[in-house]
Amino acid sequence: MIGWWKTWKALEARGIMGINRRNADYVLKYNKRSLYPVVDDKIITKERAIRAGIHVPEMYGIISTEKEIGRLDEIIGGRSDFVIKPAQGAGGDGILVIADRFEDRFRTISGRIISHEEIEHQVSSILTGLYSLGGHRDRALIEYRVTPDQIFKSISYEGVPDIRIIVLMGYPVMAMLRLPTRQSGGKANLHQGAIGVGVDLATGVTLKGTWLNRIINKHPDTTNAVDGVQLPNWDGFMQLAAQCYELCGLGYIGVDMVLDQDKGPLILELNARPGLNIQIANDCGLTHRAQAVEERLQRLALNGEQDTPQQRVKFVQELFGHVPGA
Amino acid sequence: MRALTLHLRILIAVLVTLGIAITAYQIVVLGIPVTEDETDDLWNIDAKVEFVANPKDPVKIQMFVPPLARDYISLNESFISNNYGVSVNRIDGNRKVTWSARRATGKQTLYYRLVLTKRYSGEKPKVKGPVFRDSIAIEGPEKIAAEALLAPIRQHSADVETFITEAIKRVNTFSDDNVKLLLAGDTSTQNKARVTELLLSIAHVPVEKVHTIRLVADQPQTPELWMRSFNGKEWLYFNPDNGEQGLPSDRLLWWTGDENLITVEGGKKATVNFSLNNSEMNAIRLAKLTDANTDADFLEYSLYGLPLQTQQTFMIMVMIPIGVLVILILRNLIGLQTLGTFTPVLIALAFRETQLGFGIALFTVITALGLSLRSYLEHLKLQMLPRLSVVLTFVVVLIAAISLFSHKLGLERGLSVALFPMVILTMTIERLSITWEERGSGHAMKVAVGTLFAASLAHIIMSVPELTYFVFTFPAVLLILVGFMLAMGRYRGYRLTELMRFKAFLKEEDAARENAK
Repeated sequence: MIGWWKTWKALEARGIMGINRRNADYVLKYNKRSLYPVVDDKIITKERAIRAGIHVPEMYGIISTEKEIGRLDEIIGGRSDFVIKPAQGAGGDGILVIADRFEDRFRTISGRIISHEEIEHQVSSILTGLYSLGGHRDRALIEYRVTPDQIFKSISYEGVPDIRIIVLMGYPVMAMLRLPTRQSGGKANLHQGAIGVGVDLATGVTLKGTWLNRIINKHPDTTNAVDGVQLPNWDGFMQLAAQCYELCGLGYIGVDMVLDQDKGPLILELNARPGLNIQIANDCGLTHRAQAVEERLQRLALNGEQDTPQQRVKFVQELFGHVPGA
Repeated sequence: MRALTLHLRILIAVLVTLGIAITAYQIVVLGIPVTEDETDDLWNIDAKVEFVANPKDPVKIQMFVPPLARDYISLNESFISNNYGVSVNRIDGNRKVTWSARRATGKQTLYYRLVLTKRYSGEKPKVKGPVFRDSIAIEGPEKIAAEALLAPIRQHSADVETFITEAIKRVNTFSDDNVKLLLAGDTSTQNKARVTELLLSIAHVPVEKVHTIRLVADQPQTPELWMRSFNGKEWLYFNPDNGEQGLPSDRLLWWTGDENLITVEGGKKATVNFSLNNSEMNAIRLAKLTDANTDADFLEYSLYGLPLQTQQTFMIMVMIPIGVLVILILRNLIGLQTLGTFTPVLIALAFRETQLGFGIALFTVITALGLSLRSYLEHLKLQMLPRLSVVLTFVVVLIAAISLFSHKLGLERGLSVALFPMVILTMTIERLSITWEERGSGHAMKVAVGTLFAASLAHIIMSVPELTYFVFTFPAVLLILVGFMLAMGRYRGYRLTELMRFKAFLKEEDAARENAK
């Protein structure tokens, strides 16, 4: 009991945010319910992003009824790699990544050969709402397959590493690089076994990593060090993340981005309830950073001012960046 | 934000205060017992009437039954008689049942059964009685003897009460010649009562004979004679054998007046046997049973005012918020992971029927079999709705099979499986299998065990009889519960499991401290 109390106090002193605090003070306070569809439906996110001039993976087509499944071939055209996603999927479930064609069949990113029927069944499952939040009917999204930049080759196992930045009222407060592992099956979700690696907000240099709630330094599959890697085009990522507040209107989001070897930073999706393991990856609590941003907002509100996305990035980079030891 | 917090605080304070106030009012002012153990006596009185009917004559039996005007309330009254017409009427404060039949032969047996209890509320209806009566006319030596007796009685008494006591004492002084004359050698209680009445009538003091039954279980009973007089406010009771005043609390007034208990026309050898037994019953339930006869108005607006069947449903229903509270604490304070939010509560409800151990076993078996079916169906690449339908049907068949099998084995408990909510089982299987596929077997097991644990805990807490009684009797407690839930809605501390989850931070810190050394 006393041990627990000590742990509690220690976590609090470091500003570690718990689920209850995240929900009460940030998600419920800054995220308006009515705006959730913007982030929950990847198609709407994509459309909004395109309108705002933010880079996203190109959309090849949408299938919204069983009848339209017949149009699959037409949408794919001659492409040999593409991604099929549920528009309202959660946690990366139900995503099918086709990397290549093999005779009449397709090869997924993990090397499994699947038939045309299996793809159709997957689309049909998506439409019935198997992967959607709450089991509602859903739409399937067919889009460009991101080819990760070569920089990640040494510290990633298959799949597409992505960059998650927590953005509070347009201020990026914490960033993490998510690396798929053999265990995560090429997916970049931490609860599925992917690695999270903290990123210095100012420089874009990686810090230590977290894997299954533990702190690690090496990728378990490649055994290469995950820290000290300079992410290219870091300010581009920061700008992209900061702009997402204007894009969706939600005050507390996790922005998932990828670095495509041809197209640079792209927004994959937004998350209205970003996870808390990013704190372990950065070895830092979210609460103090979030409170600093809130103070800044209050000061600006008193003067009737507002920061531009550029100013916001500058602010957080000065305050939270240059972590010692990075 | 601050305004919202204040608003919430006020709301919580109002709800909790209201809940405590209502409950306190119920306990302190209305005096509703806090635990179920407070019980009242329930009396079951059987009067067995036997007689031999004259052939060819119509039969008419009249018997007094308790008027039940004062201290007792009848919960149930029945007249058990074959082929007899029954009517009950009130005459001069008495109640009389009349059994009648056009034709009856041989030995006849009739029953009168009465279930009664002490009046629940203290308020008693007003009573009326005579305060004056005319003298009974007597002549000759009796008159002289009576007047000779009255003179010292008057001297030794101060009011009507002492006058009657004194008169009864005199009548019981058998050595007195005047008494001897009046009693004429018959010292039965009946006769003494008659003489007492005679004496008192000369002094214009009205008295009445009262016939009572003693509420003692398993003892043969005959009606016991008492006398009573009205003093303008209430009836005073006297023992005709010693003049003692006051009716013991275990006496039930059966009838008043000079008439016999039973009169039979068209029959003979009539006898009445009384047998009594008692049982105990929950005070509130009793009060509710007597609803029609009591002044227990407060019960009108409590859940006890509902029909019994509905009450039983509500007893379960009022416990659901308690179960939900358990889940709330487990999830938000402890951080236990469960399938769905309220699924554990629904499973807990199902455990009511199956009992805990058996329920867990059934749940595990059905879910395990369902999961294996589900994983087989996965290969067939079915769409969601048809697949769910197949799983549901499988669950139904499985439940039927378990019921049949356990019935054949003589395990009646197995039949209770039919009450397991099938749709919930199906959804549990479906979600569990998705969890299994996407988060691995470890996570799925964790969630399944968490769900079962939450359901078991909720079930155990929801089926504490004292708690059920308390919440059902004092539903305002639920307001306090809502207050707590509202407070939980803004709880932002850590969950217990998070203390484990973020342990990595502390290890780091410890390591850093070590290095610094």
